[in-house]
Amino acid sequence: MRASNLTGWLVGFVAVAVAACTGAIGDPDDGPGDDSDGSCVGCTPEGVKVAESTRFARLSHRQWENTVVDLFQLGGPTSLSETFAPDPLGGKAFDNNASSLEVTPTLWGDYQDAAEEVAQLVTSDPTLLAKIVPSDLPADMPARAEAWVDQFGKQAWRRPLTSAEHTALVSVFELGTTHYADLEPFTGGVRLTIEAILQSPFFVYRAELGTKEEANRLIELDNWEMASRLSYTLWNTMPDPELFRAAEAGELTTDDGLRVQIDRLLGSDRAQATIRSFFDQVNDAEQYVGIAKAEYAYPDFDPATGAEMREELLRFIDHVIVEEDGGLKDLLTSRTTFVTARLAEIYGIDPATLDFDETGFAQTELDPTQRSGILTRSGFLAWKGTESAPDTILRGVFVNRRFICQELGDPPDEAMGAILGDEETNREKVDALTGDGTCGATCHATFINPIGFAFENYGAIGEWRDLDNGHPIDAGAMFPFEDGEKTFSNAVELSDVLAETPQAHACFTRFWVEFALGRDVLLDDDPLIAQLEEESLAGASVRDVLATLLESPVFRYRVAVGTEGQ
Amino acid sequence: MKRRHLLRGLGGVAVALPFLEALAPRNRARAAEGDVPPFAIFVRQGNGVAQETNDEPERFWPSAGPGALTVAGLTGDTDRALSELGAHADKLAIVRGLNFAFPGNGCGHSGGGNQVLTAARVSDDPSGNESKSMGESIDNRIATDVGAPGEEPLTLYAGKKFGYLDEVLSYRGPLQLRAAERNPLTVYEDLFGLSGVDPDVLEAIRARRKSVNDLVRDQMQSLLGRTDLSAMDRQRLDLHFTSIRDLETGIVCGLSDAEVASIASVSESLDDDSMIEDVIRTHFDIIALAMACGARRAATLQIGSGNDATSYYVDGAMQKSFHKISHRIDSDGSDGPPIPNADVLHHLIDRKLLGLFGYLIAKLSEYELPNSRLIDCGVAVYTSDLSNKYHGYDNVPYILAGSAGGFLKTGVYVDAGDVAHNKLLNTVGAAVGCTNAAGDPLDDFGDSSLPKGWVDALIA
Repeated sequence: MRASNLTGWLVGFVAVAVAACTGAIGDPDDGPGDDSDGSCVGCTPEGVKVAESTRFARLSHRQWENTVVDLFQLGGPTSLSETFAPDPLGGKAFDNNASSLEVTPTLWGDYQDAAEEVAQLVTSDPTLLAKIVPSDLPADMPARAEAWVDQFGKQAWRRPLTSAEHTALVSVFELGTTHYADLEPFTGGVRLTIEAILQSPFFVYRAELGTKEEANRLIELDNWEMASRLSYTLWNTMPDPELFRAAEAGELTTDDGLRVQIDRLLGSDRAQATIRSFFDQVNDAEQYVGIAKAEYAYPDFDPATGAEMREELLRFIDHVIVEEDGGLKDLLTSRTTFVTARLAEIYGIDPATLDFDETGFAQTELDPTQRSGILTRSGFLAWKGTESAPDTILRGVFVNRRFICQELGDPPDEAMGAILGDEETNREKVDALTGDGTCGATCHATFINPIGFAFENYGAIGEWRDLDNGHPIDAGAMFPFEDGEKTFSNAVELSDVLAETPQAHACFTRFWVEFALGRDVLLDDDPLIAQLEEESLAGASVRDVLATLLESPVFRYRVAVGTEGQ
Repeated sequence: MKRRHLLRGLGGVAVALPFLEALAPRNRARAAEGDVPPFAIFVRQGNGVAQETNDEPERFWPSAGPGALTVAGLTGDTDRALSELGAHADKLAIVRGLNFAFPGNGCGHSGGGNQVLTAARVSDDPSGNESKSMGESIDNRIATDVGAPGEEPLTLYAGKKFGYLDEVLSYRGPLQLRAAERNPLTVYEDLFGLSGVDPDVLEAIRARRKSVNDLVRDQMQSLLGRTDLSAMDRQRLDLHFTSIRDLETGIVCGLSDAEVASIASVSESLDDDSMIEDVIRTHFDIIALAMACGARRAATLQIGSGNDATSYYVDGAMQKSFHKISHRIDSDGSDGPPIPNADVLHHLIDRKLLGLFGYLIAKLSEYELPNSRLIDCGVAVYTSDLSNKYHGYDNVPYILAGSAGGFLKTGVYVDAGDVAHNKLLNTVGAAVGCTNAAGDPLDDFGDSSLPKGWVDALIA
């Protein structure tokens, strides 16, 4: 995570402490800067600055799979993308970060194989073939081929073909009739053309090639480009027929037309899947799967519980964000959750009192004195637990990095392997090793430990505990937030504090910007993040925050580069 | 049809080897002639090794030497992890005294992974677990210098990925981390998926693909011809463009259906720690076949994530995560409760992983070529991206097996003399035919500030 958003709010002691802790505050301005004539490159009339971004964002493997399913109207995923060369995410939070998505020789070979398999699948099944060959095409070649190429090419490349592209694809179609001489000529042409279309850069990338430049080197995305940006951001797939229609009608470059489509997309089940994916990734919930605990401490803990914890989180997201149209405040304070019998026991609930659905989950309300929101759910607490005890440090680090975007360096090499002492309680052990007066005081005592201590009431699988080694739990602490020092007595109070802290809302919306734009967040994005933070803090739902983000110039424009437009 | 050699391959099954003259290196430099062109394989364990520190005894390096290695001597060194390779002593060069030249940037594991095959600086931005190398890796250099046009190094990975710090080894250039493939079946099919296909059918596939490739190349060239591309987009499109290759017919290496089924079976268990040894062995099988067939000139296998958190089966039980064991505490953070006997467990994991490297050496030795064995044609390098439990960058282990066609000494234990490890990478690069800008054997790999040269004691 980058530190740019920290600039400006670190003051006094906190600033000094962070500097010592992280070694660096803020990034250089990655934006395009000012032009030689003094104009503000990338600035809109409203003063929003649009950062430079790639014009060739490659489809993520998930997006490739979804797009193929929709393009060919398949009944389910091909699973071909599961064999694609993996992308090196390099520690980035999301799988759609364009900087990690390239076409390498291995992936190119995978694309080739997959294109051939899809083409074979579709052209060997009359039902599938009929789905992509409209019945109103001309009956005779070559008019039939030309009409099909135009229609299918537009769908696959998500924009109308140029005349040169039309000519080139028709040539490929004709070659297909001879390469696949054993097939009926039209089918042979379709097969080779599908192979070519799926390997084309215009399928593999969301290419943004429009060049209509405005003042300050801004280029507004055209309707087709907006259709793709919207669809891949909210549905993780190609535009649907209604979005294509809106693009054709020029509605996506109008404020009203754009809002209509944003609302429609956000209200669909497909957006729900995308929202799930966001939270799954930002919480690293995949890591819950297979969690193991020490048999001597948790003899009944089944490693299969980890997968249930992940599903619990995702159902919680569905409930709060989709069903209740909630926002960050709700995520941090809701007592509702979804449990299996095993999870119920972790929460101290008698499974016999619950009404489980056919998947083995039941909706329930948790004890409001013990649980509040996403940070008090079992998955996070168990994942950030050792095999037998709370992992105070890792809980504190995770909340710092993912909930308040507090930049933390990694511990110095010489500190690795520091062994907790034999103090009576977990808190005392952590404090003795890393608290005030120790060499770890700057990062730990200031930022990590206070947050981590708030979770002392939860054991290594997230179960509630009042005592630690026979001693009453002390989960209280103070944290130097951006808007001042705040105290809390436990994780429930910490969640309440976070729900009202601008820093948490800034962090939350910052991750949404990163996710929606498919790139690292830059200093130029700070005004947008500030706007979103304000809305979220005022109680806006996630969907409303997203709508604001998608309506912003940052989403609708790009900046000219090179000699573009000159 | 090209002339082919027959050789004994995986599981003793005869595989057809394409005639390799066409794949001979463009710059052989001092590399010796062999049955197949020299190749290099790099195997990396995470988390350093259990070597002597301020509070723990030596359990890794041979007790005698530096000097000559013998089977009896190394095998008899029973309290040292390297004794696991005793049977291969005459093929080995054990090298100590090599250091990473540059500090990490916020994450010791990432910084080590950034340097181990690059000898380059660690990035200022990004930092921490996202830090990257500021230079290409030696496997990339080998593939570029002596591989077929457009050839990529094999970049493989065994074990789970966690998202925090996954692949760390292979770089196309500064900040350009190459993804590592976990699935052996995918690797096999990418390399040899068309083995056994009728030549006429293969020719038809080649012709069809060329028709498609011609179209895509035209589109890519058109995009690359634009003047309105950012440097980043140009680099992205250029990589895509150079990735497009026409099918070369004539490669007939492959395995039997039963062996492919075995690979497929192993590939079902990529997230199962109890299966990681099978996954590693299967990757080694495929690497050896790829080298024997001349399909690749360089390969890496990364065992475990950047801070390998695999639970290995050691001493009769599944152990805690190796990362935790390596730091001796029951936490992935910097502090936590102690793990009893963690130093011994670390040593036993070293032994296990070295034993698996021994499997690779044995596999390479199984391939009989007309004049030698495959192991003699190339070099396999075992290393870690840390030296010890403290994220140490000094005295990082490099264990070489094979002479690369006679270029390298074997049967020796060498002290490189407390020098930057770029000299080891230069030596390996030169051994397989890489050159510097002047056309001489590679001696300047890595950061330009580092002293040039080789580990002279390794050169035959």
